[in-house]
Amino acid sequence: MKIGLEIHLQLPTKSKLFCSCPTTADQPNSSVCPTCLGFPGSRPSLNRKALEYGLMVARFLDCHMNQKIWFSRKTYFYPDLPKHFQITQYESPLGVDGHYDLNGKRIGIWRVHIEEDPGRIRRVGRSGEEVSLIDYNRSGIPLVEIVTAPDMSSPAEAREFINQLTTELRYLVGISVQDEQSIRVDCNISVGEERVEVKNVSGLRNMEKALSYEATRQAKMLEAGKKIVRETRRYDEERKVTLPAREKEFEEDYGYIGEPDLGEYEIGAMAAAIKLPETPFMRAERLAKQCSIPEATAKQLVLTSMNLADLFEETCSKVPPEKAVQWLLGPINSNWSKFEPILGEKKGEIIDVIKADSDGRINDNEAKMRLLAMVGMAEVSTSDEGGRDIEVLVNQFLDKHPEVVKDYRTNPKAANSVIGHLMKETKGRHSSKEIVECVNREIEKRV
Amino acid sequence: MIARFDLDWLKRQNERHRAFCEMLEIQPEGESKFTFSAKDNLCTKDFQTRAGSRILEGYRPPFDAEPVKRLRHAGGLLLGKTNMDEFGFGTFSTNSAFGVPLNPFDRERACGGSSGGAAVAAALIAGHAALGVSTGGSISCPASFCGVVGITPTYGRVSRYGLIDYGNSLDKVGLLSRNVSLIEKLLPVISGPDPRDPTSCCQTQLDMSKDRSGPIAVPKECLEGVEPKVLDAFNAAVQRVSAEMGREIVSVDMPSLKFAMPAYYVLATTEASTNLARYAGMRYGVMGNEYHQHFNDYFSGVRTECFGEEAKRRILLGTFCRMVGFRDKYYLKALSVRNTIIQEYASIFKEYAAVASPTMPMVAPRFDDIKNMRPVDIYLTDFLTLPPNLTGLPHISVPCGYVGKMPVGMQLVTPHWEEGALVKFAKRWEQGFEYHIPEVGA
Amino acid sequence: MSVSFSSEANIMEKETVARVAKVARLRLTEAELDKYGKDLQDILDSFAVLDSAPSSENFDFNPVPVQDVLREDEPAIDIDPYELTKHMDSYDGYIRGPKLS
Repeated sequence: MKIGLEIHLQLPTKSKLFCSCPTTADQPNSSVCPTCLGFPGSRPSLNRKALEYGLMVARFLDCHMNQKIWFSRKTYFYPDLPKHFQITQYESPLGVDGHYDLNGKRIGIWRVHIEEDPGRIRRVGRSGEEVSLIDYNRSGIPLVEIVTAPDMSSPAEAREFINQLTTELRYLVGISVQDEQSIRVDCNISVGEERVEVKNVSGLRNMEKALSYEATRQAKMLEAGKKIVRETRRYDEERKVTLPAREKEFEEDYGYIGEPDLGEYEIGAMAAAIKLPETPFMRAERLAKQCSIPEATAKQLVLTSMNLADLFEETCSKVPPEKAVQWLLGPINSNWSKFEPILGEKKGEIIDVIKADSDGRINDNEAKMRLLAMVGMAEVSTSDEGGRDIEVLVNQFLDKHPEVVKDYRTNPKAANSVIGHLMKETKGRHSSKEIVECVNREIEKRV
Repeated sequence: MIARFDLDWLKRQNERHRAFCEMLEIQPEGESKFTFSAKDNLCTKDFQTRAGSRILEGYRPPFDAEPVKRLRHAGGLLLGKTNMDEFGFGTFSTNSAFGVPLNPFDRERACGGSSGGAAVAAALIAGHAALGVSTGGSISCPASFCGVVGITPTYGRVSRYGLIDYGNSLDKVGLLSRNVSLIEKLLPVISGPDPRDPTSCCQTQLDMSKDRSGPIAVPKECLEGVEPKVLDAFNAAVQRVSAEMGREIVSVDMPSLKFAMPAYYVLATTEASTNLARYAGMRYGVMGNEYHQHFNDYFSGVRTECFGEEAKRRILLGTFCRMVGFRDKYYLKALSVRNTIIQEYASIFKEYAAVASPTMPMVAPRFDDIKNMRPVDIYLTDFLTLPPNLTGLPHISVPCGYVGKMPVGMQLVTPHWEEGALVKFAKRWEQGFEYHIPEVGA
Repeated sequence: MSVSFSSEANIMEKETVARVAKVARLRLTEAELDKYGKDLQDILDSFAVLDSAPSSENFDFNPVPVQDVLREDEPAIDIDPYELTKHMDSYDGYIRGPKLS
């Protein structure tokens, strides 16, 4: 089975691709201007940030970058498209022939380009009789389109690909995919020779379902000795089936021409100047190698948050990686939403506790209590500060029982009475090793 | 410069010549520095803006076109909107949905197009600046037919923000006036970069004091097919330029000019066919309300009903030229031919200060004769104005003679961004040649 | 559907005109198909000279260089969106449009 994807993702700019309208709005048709409504006499003007984001995506996917680009008009008639042409890139995408390594498997990237989103349509009325209601707030929002080679071999793999990719891009350019439905995908799938396109699927879950349905359908047809026809289908979200796209009266001819209102862009230098930060999966790979931890563990760290990975790397400079994993992927990861906000203030303290545990100065139980106490999930008595409270207890005892020091000179076992007392007093908050060391140290001082 | 004008007089003139399709209704109080008009494809907040098309009936833009805004800021009073061929599609202003403007020298004749109303307004009103727009000669042609001066600046010199598009890589906003003096004052006002039109942002600064010395080239290709009497007038004018202005005139070959007509019509109509896609009965202008219709039927219905014949012809031609199977042969070829012609001009400008030719191969034709012309015959009459327009070169048309009472125009072309030399030439020309003013009633 | 254009026949085939009109969302009567077909044929004939023009790979979309004009990513609204949409046919804040299927 071969699956190729055309993925559309919104780029997280503050203003639209070709006009200054804000990309966020609470009311329908409240973030619109003459340009994104296609009023006569309005003109596009390219958002630098959107171009930079697009270039970052193309560079990240290791594309061969074009030196010069321009935009094109793709003309077609639809109520959500104000100018009845979409400004997109046709002959000169930002980059071509890239790739992405998905868990060790290379997925080819054919091209990456940017384009404007049409408005959002609400269909109202009986099925088949639907009237359109349009919100043009989405008109002109910048999209990046990523076209892959047909290198994926199962619907699950396709989903995993987009999952990983969006994770990477969220970190790289801040793409937000909270709204899962905002990912729009055209899928090409072939079980036999001929490929079928399932167009305009919204959301990852729908995509996987659409692909699975289509894979089964094609396989059944082949089994039955039928031929698969090359066609465009659509996914019916309610019935969870793919259907032939309503036979159009005729094949649309987009009649691409260059967009003369924008001119050309020399992007070579701009693309080269972009510094790509290390993305989550790149980092996981490095951490796995560098710290000799399992790859799955490394992924778990970066997928929780790159901040957790930061904490991990810092902690590893003080303690062995297994110790760091034990705590970071233990109590801290399970309560990450509580720990993340206090990192700025308490990072050092967290690492100290783990270090103390690693050094055997406190036991696991004590370490856990202290960590959870930082986020208000456990109480630790205030007198128990570091190791000093044991010192105080030891000295209080020795003051009351000076005979212990005397006996100790001849018989070191005399210290046992102090140790027993402290074990009782501290109720296991300190390791015995810690108490023994402390008692011996304090008695030695008095000898 | 203080302009006084009598609105009632203007209304009477307009009934005779139909220069305006929308104009002031009440005489404004006070005086303005000058009066101006805007071609109806320039957006104005206070007048309907229909670009000569029924499909924009009732459209009142929420913003002023940048050149209109700049002239208002300079103290100009906007008298109204001048009539034009629908979306600029025409050579005689006979393709307007709102009446045909009539030549100020002879009402039986056309005033040229597509900025026909603008040329008529410039001819009729003293001290008036008419904002015109040229895609393929729509300033030069009516200036020539109406006996006024018309300047078409370099592509990108004047912001197109608020100009209703015909061909975005060809459209240029310019000025028409009875003589060059007001043009000299106002061209710097409307010029300059505008962030809302990226194509205006790469211009070199306008230098009105910069002249060009050297001989003037007259391409042989520009004299073939010109009516004999028009050619005589042009030759006489050229002799004056030589004798009185001391400019050497040299005949040259510019073989690539013959490609300008097809290259222009391919590019202009392909771009136009995409620009006009937006007019479909939603959002502005004429609104359809048959929401129960399938969107294709809805859009087709409004477009079929409201576009005029020439608009449909150019939409069809432009759509055809960019369709799969024809795109390379027409659209891409035309783009590359445009570069070829630009290069030929550039090599001419290495030796010559400017290129001169008659503006139109004829004087303003009679409406009766226009009726018998095939569309392609009309397209071919633009062969002198198309080359500088296709290549974005600045040019000016000045009256240079008369055949009977009908004016003949001379067109001068200079390199990109060198409008200063055009104005200087026109000023010197006007010192030795008196323009005829049409007889206007009281 | 394939589109054909035959220069030998010297007639822009009717079905080509019909298809172009459909792509452009224009309805043409039989008589109009004939008339526009003939007009387009005349015009295309006059374009034949293009074939003899020197071919070059390089082309630009503007007659003067327009390069690297970019806008900073700063949101702004100059015209009240209500002023833009008040004449449109709307329902509940949404703009009304025709049927989709």
